[in-house]
Amino acid sequence: MMSSDADDPGRLRLVVRRRIRARPERLFRAWTEAQEFVRWWGPRGVICERADIDLRVGGAYSIANRLDDGRLVTISGAFELIEPPGRIAYTWHVHPGAAPGSRVVVTFLPLEGDETEVVVTHERIASAEVAAEHKRGWVGCLDGLAAFAER
Amino acid sequence: MRPRAIRKPTAQTEHKLDLVFHALADRTRRTMLSRLMQGPASVSELAAPFAMTLPGVSKHIRVLERAKLVTRKPVGSVQQCALTPAAFESASVWLETHRSLWESALEGLARYAEDDGSR
Repeated sequence: MMSSDADDPGRLRLVVRRRIRARPERLFRAWTEAQEFVRWWGPRGVICERADIDLRVGGAYSIANRLDDGRLVTISGAFELIEPPGRIAYTWHVHPGAAPGSRVVVTFLPLEGDETEVVVTHERIASAEVAAEHKRGWVGCLDGLAAFAER
Repeated sequence: MRPRAIRKPTAQTEHKLDLVFHALADRTRRTMLSRLMQGPASVSELAAPFAMTLPGVSKHIRVLERAKLVTRKPVGSVQQCALTPAAFESASVWLETHRSLWESALEGLARYAEDDGSR
């Protein structure tokens, strides 16, 4: 599912959902502990070489993605919200790249039978907000737009 | 850009979106865009990963040009391609790229968490 106002990129928002046969606690751990994260994070054609996760509000994370043509793309940002095991939010910047930064919110909704619905909401940060982030010292590094996504 | 109420896209916007989605609907062209997101490249550099003739590659580039995602201009003796600034701002490109990224990541998470038996 996705929604957009194509003429207003600042409001762009993407929602992706998936039902997974595991409990929220299990998935929260997989998402937030580096040694687990590197074992599943790998969009097609990408090897996750390294993940550093400083899991506290304001803490930084960094994910090194090796593309199948050898290039290295790093995704990084800072945590804005940490509510185990239900929700986590962080900023998202891709280097090298040229598009504005964005924000990711991941929600783990418990379902019956030890299943979970994982909801990823990824939104572009409006330019006014990006300016504010700059003031707070978060360099709005430019988002290379997941060169790896379609590889 | 100033926030405003979501309104029905104009025919012109619809036409632009058609061109963009048509351009994105092809894997070869998506790979070319991914390459160009890292910086400009010559036509032959863009062609390198594909078993394809230069005219074949050129045809793909023309589709990207029509969608206003890519520009081509001569630099010295070669044609150099680059993403247009508008391409980075294109809602369609952003949504398509990230949708694909997250679907594939959640697939990986499901495979990992459903297989390890420690629910």
